[in-house]
Amino acid sequence: MSDPFETLAVGDPIEGAEFAVSRASIRAFCDASLDYNPLHLDDDYMAGNFGRTSFGGVIMHGMTNFGLITRMLTDWAYDRGALHRRLETRWRSPVKPGDAIRPRAVVKAKQTTGAARWVTLDVVVSNQRGETIATGEALVEFPPS
Amino acid sequence: MSEAFETDFWKDAAQRKSWDAIIPGEARPTLPYRLTLSAIQRYCQAVGETHPLYFDEDYARKSRYGGLIAPPSIHILLMFACTPADDWMRSPGTINAGQSWSYNQPARPGDDIRLEARALDKFIRKERLFVVHDNVFFNRRDEVICSGRGWTIRPA
Repeated sequence: MSDPFETLAVGDPIEGAEFAVSRASIRAFCDASLDYNPLHLDDDYMAGNFGRTSFGGVIMHGMTNFGLITRMLTDWAYDRGALHRRLETRWRSPVKPGDAIRPRAVVKAKQTTGAARWVTLDVVVSNQRGETIATGEALVEFPPS
Repeated sequence: MSEAFETDFWKDAAQRKSWDAIIPGEARPTLPYRLTLSAIQRYCQAVGETHPLYFDEDYARKSRYGGLIAPPSIHILLMFACTPADDWMRSPGTINAGQSWSYNQPARPGDDIRLEARALDKFIRKERLFVVHDNVFFNRRDEVICSGRGWTIRPA
């Protein structure tokens, strides 16, 4: 059986599942995360200017992006006997009900240390218009050869 | 347990620290939390997680983990579960700008979770008030589950 780490190449892509964002999905995330910030629930609160930002309506939790990226990475890593070890993200644009978003990743680098082998991945989440919603970097650990 | 959780973030809002009052380096009070299988699976369903490590006991028992686990991103739930109602993390209008997390041990159903947390830094950028918070979650054996930082924009 081929070694999953050895067969990986810089530039290899990973594609996650599309996620349809709705008021119901946002409410489900509130209940799942216990994050009931009115940013995600209160149309009246979100209608006007919000500090230095105007959203014009309720927005999805940024951490939903984090959860979707994690799902993509763990499904990929588990299949290869690897461990998802780190994820760093920045939110670039708000997501609203009616949007459809999808995480993707690309192998950025491979490195071997004394005890393990590592893959660094560039991560991006985009919406149905091709706009970048979130960016980040992840680290996956493979066992030594 | 979510039934006992205060879902009205406006309640106690006046008691929460403003950006001015947050002291970098100061610990945040936290609450212990018992992670249940139903809470894990509710979180999984909200983000479309279907892996059998989170749902299928037979599959999980035969895996490297020896039993059901939570996905690494379960800290999204743990953060609010371990945060008291009067904490500034729950201030209405708090905007999450980004996070970074490192993972050690998986959290498991039945784990008694402990959070050590603090404000780490605060600054102003493009007229927005930022606070950086750092966090470490432990299980009952004091093993690190995960550690991470978050960048939030505080309400004006």
